[in-house]
Amino acid sequence: MGAAAAGAATTRAATLQEKMDAAGGPLALLRQPGPGPLPFPVKAEFTNWRDEQESWRRTAVLFDQSHHMADSTLEGADTLRLLSRVAVNSFAGFGPMKAKQLVVCNPDGQVIGDGVAFCLAENRVRVVGRAPIHSWLQYHAESGDYDISYRRDERTVRNRSGRELFRFQVNGPSAREILERVNGGPLPDIPFFTMGRFNVGPYEVTALNHRMSGFPGLEFWGPYEQCDGVREQLLEAGADLGLTQAGAKSYSTAAVESGWIAQITPAVYSGEALRPFREWLGADSFEANVNLAGSFVSDRVEEYYATPWDLGYGFIVKHDHDFIGAEALRRIAEEPHRQKAWLYWHRDDVVRIFASMCEQGGRRFKYLDMPAGWYGSMQYDAVEGSGGSLIGVSRSLAYSSNVRGWISLCMIDESSLEYGQEVQLVWGEPNGGSANPAVERHVQTRIRATLGRKPFSDATEGSSIRR
Amino acid sequence: MRSLQDRIDEAGGPLALLRLPRSGIFPFPIRSEFTNWRDEQESWYRSAVLFDQSEHMTDLTIEGADTHRLLSELAVNSFNGFGPAKAKQIVLCNHDGYVIGDAIAFCLGEHHVRIVGRPSAHNWIQFHAQTGGYDVTWRRDDRTVQNRSGARELFRFQVQGPNAQAILERVNGGPLPAIPFFTIGRLQVGRHELTALNHRMSGFPGLEMWGPYEHREEVREALLEAGAEYGLLQAGARAYASVATESGWIAGITPAIYSGERMRAYRQWVPAASFEANLILGGSFVSDRIEDYYLTPFDLGYGFMVKFDHDFVGREALERLATEPHRDKAWLYWQRDDVARVFASLYEQGDRRFKYIDMPAAWYSSMQFDRIERAGALIGLSTTAVYSSNARSFLSLCIIDSQERVNGAEVALVWGEPDGGSANLAVERHVQTRIRATIGDKPFADRTEGSSLRR
Repeated sequence: MGAAAAGAATTRAATLQEKMDAAGGPLALLRQPGPGPLPFPVKAEFTNWRDEQESWRRTAVLFDQSHHMADSTLEGADTLRLLSRVAVNSFAGFGPMKAKQLVVCNPDGQVIGDGVAFCLAENRVRVVGRAPIHSWLQYHAESGDYDISYRRDERTVRNRSGRELFRFQVNGPSAREILERVNGGPLPDIPFFTMGRFNVGPYEVTALNHRMSGFPGLEFWGPYEQCDGVREQLLEAGADLGLTQAGAKSYSTAAVESGWIAQITPAVYSGEALRPFREWLGADSFEANVNLAGSFVSDRVEEYYATPWDLGYGFIVKHDHDFIGAEALRRIAEEPHRQKAWLYWHRDDVVRIFASMCEQGGRRFKYLDMPAGWYGSMQYDAVEGSGGSLIGVSRSLAYSSNVRGWISLCMIDESSLEYGQEVQLVWGEPNGGSANPAVERHVQTRIRATLGRKPFSDATEGSSIRR
Repeated sequence: MRSLQDRIDEAGGPLALLRLPRSGIFPFPIRSEFTNWRDEQESWYRSAVLFDQSEHMTDLTIEGADTHRLLSELAVNSFNGFGPAKAKQIVLCNHDGYVIGDAIAFCLGEHHVRIVGRPSAHNWIQFHAQTGGYDVTWRRDDRTVQNRSGARELFRFQVQGPNAQAILERVNGGPLPAIPFFTIGRLQVGRHELTALNHRMSGFPGLEMWGPYEHREEVREALLEAGAEYGLLQAGARAYASVATESGWIAGITPAIYSGERMRAYRQWVPAASFEANLILGGSFVSDRIEDYYLTPFDLGYGFMVKFDHDFVGREALERLATEPHRDKAWLYWQRDDVARVFASLYEQGDRRFKYIDMPAAWYSSMQFDRIERAGALIGLSTTAVYSSNARSFLSLCIIDSQERVNGAEVALVWGEPDGGSANLAVERHVQTRIRATIGDKPFADRTEGSSLRR
């Protein structure tokens, strides 16, 4: 069957399940040559990505999060009942002006997605994040027996009516001083993952103590029509304190430093229990249009799934409530886990990749884009220990001007995780590269790297590693 | 309305204006990549590429009895034989013979010429059309980022590469008419009849074609459908930015308008929000005279276009310059180990790193001039630098003193700006380094013919 015939079959598909069936299974779907990632709808660079990266460590950065994430709003008497049914988190003490990083799993205890849940009032929660958690929440809100209303505010590239809110973060050592200036006085005390209110000149905003970079600061939001006004106030107040706007290039690397694994493979593609969900989920959904990439290749989609422990969320799992996946997670809790760690890539091997661009034909290595080096929506590169055995996978990778080197976030078998150990990352795809249009023909190579902890651990506190 | 002259006066001179702390990179308003820029680059060499030029250039339409008189009094080119269905690359100079800009002039009918390119040529032509007492009307169709009307008048595509002919014959439903170099013809794409010029950014065989903007997506679809089995790839902004360095068109000319009393009236006419008032100078070549950034037609490889069969602005100066030593266009092939050293320096702390090399287009200013040295002496300027997947090398277009233009000679390119870097917002703090490079001819010269090298 030619590519045209396969294309015709997939365009007729209405749901994720139909699209998977037409492709010949979940892995075939996730390896189809697709259109590639949607553009991040913020300028690529405001100054240059090197200085923008350094701003969150040395001065202050302004992240504009108004566009790339979807928001779900849940309202009604059963809001917390629904959330606690789908999330591994405890809801003890959750209520207005509190937030938490929600993690939702399938019945086998594998993660479908995560997002930040903001409790804005009694029985009113707004969830912000990548698409998979929204699909899952909406599916349960609409198909379960809950007294609840569900509203979606889509990310800008799929939103025809305009966003409801702007969302900014100011992070970095100068963040407090800048925010005090625009507030016209000291900020209220806003503990980690707690909400509060302050002023940005004439605008009142609501804020959460949560930062992409892990460096001190706040996330805050308000009606979208105030977006430019708030931005102007911040930039004016922050000009002499080195406040720098982050463009799409630097933004995409902040989480690699701070340790949030963004590119979770939603654990929805297999298992009969999730078939009704896949039949509900549209063929144009995020889940039906992402792709797998990297040197780690398995013929079982489950190999790409992660448990909360693999992602560093083990501490979030609380059995004080009944939730989807609870039984499996009780069992998994006792089994060996993978653990989140950082790889620090060796300079000489990285330079070898760039030097290979002078090789003819397919003898070059996979191009390493900067600052973010991944080339698929879900990147998995094999990490090998001594003797070449697979000890884990490397996920998002980036050059960090703060570290002054390439780093990657990875998930390593607990029993093999030894900080300071030299390991090898297999860079590039087998057999010259997959059908992913972002992949030029190349050969694989091995990059030496050192296993380590989060960069600047002493200076940062990130949402993904703190309670 | 504030003018370019006002901006120069406020900044404290032309160089101060062109070195203001701002970002000189204009966003190219199409997707950065459709597949990946490596394969997109190789497509114009190995299969076929679709360039979308509908957004980034300005069009100026001149009509009326004096159309040819206006153009021939401004352009160095001869207008002998110019008329309907002909086009030419026009080059416009100031009174001292320095280039203000270049553009493609399409003769679409008697007394009807459309000028397409960077706005510096258009502004100069429009100024004379408005103030010079010519019997002409003019109409401007600004590039998308500065277009207030909300829509462009035309779409503009180029299809080129070894498979371009087969693809275009397929959409045309039969053999193409003979369209010689820089001549205009017609072809059919699906249900639309398009006008086409034999002119290509890459130099590889193909055509440029246009029609009403509202037909853009239908034409694109027809081309992509016909081209699928021939390896036709769309070029994104990243690959597009790199094509002219291979083919030899020097895009980042400094419009020679910022100095001299004879140009003052023009500077007072050019708006403060213009292209010219918002450019940025950068690179390792630094002079305190703006004129050192100007170039003659001879420097740019356009000497063959200068024809003294007519009177034009700059003629007298060019008659003199023609007999003086000048500089030649050439290509620099950067040495692999020195490029690798720049990437290795990304592991250095503080300011000890070298200037970041972006890929595929490596420049960080709208007008970038880097020093080329031999034995420590300045022998020329390097402009647009790119990585080319076709050449499998970094290369840059340069302008070298004639006597130094020796193929195979090793020279040093000074990479990065002095004193840690200028105020250009695209420049992080860094130190300079020298990259060894070899002087050479245009890549694939045997397989290409480019607008900038042929009559």
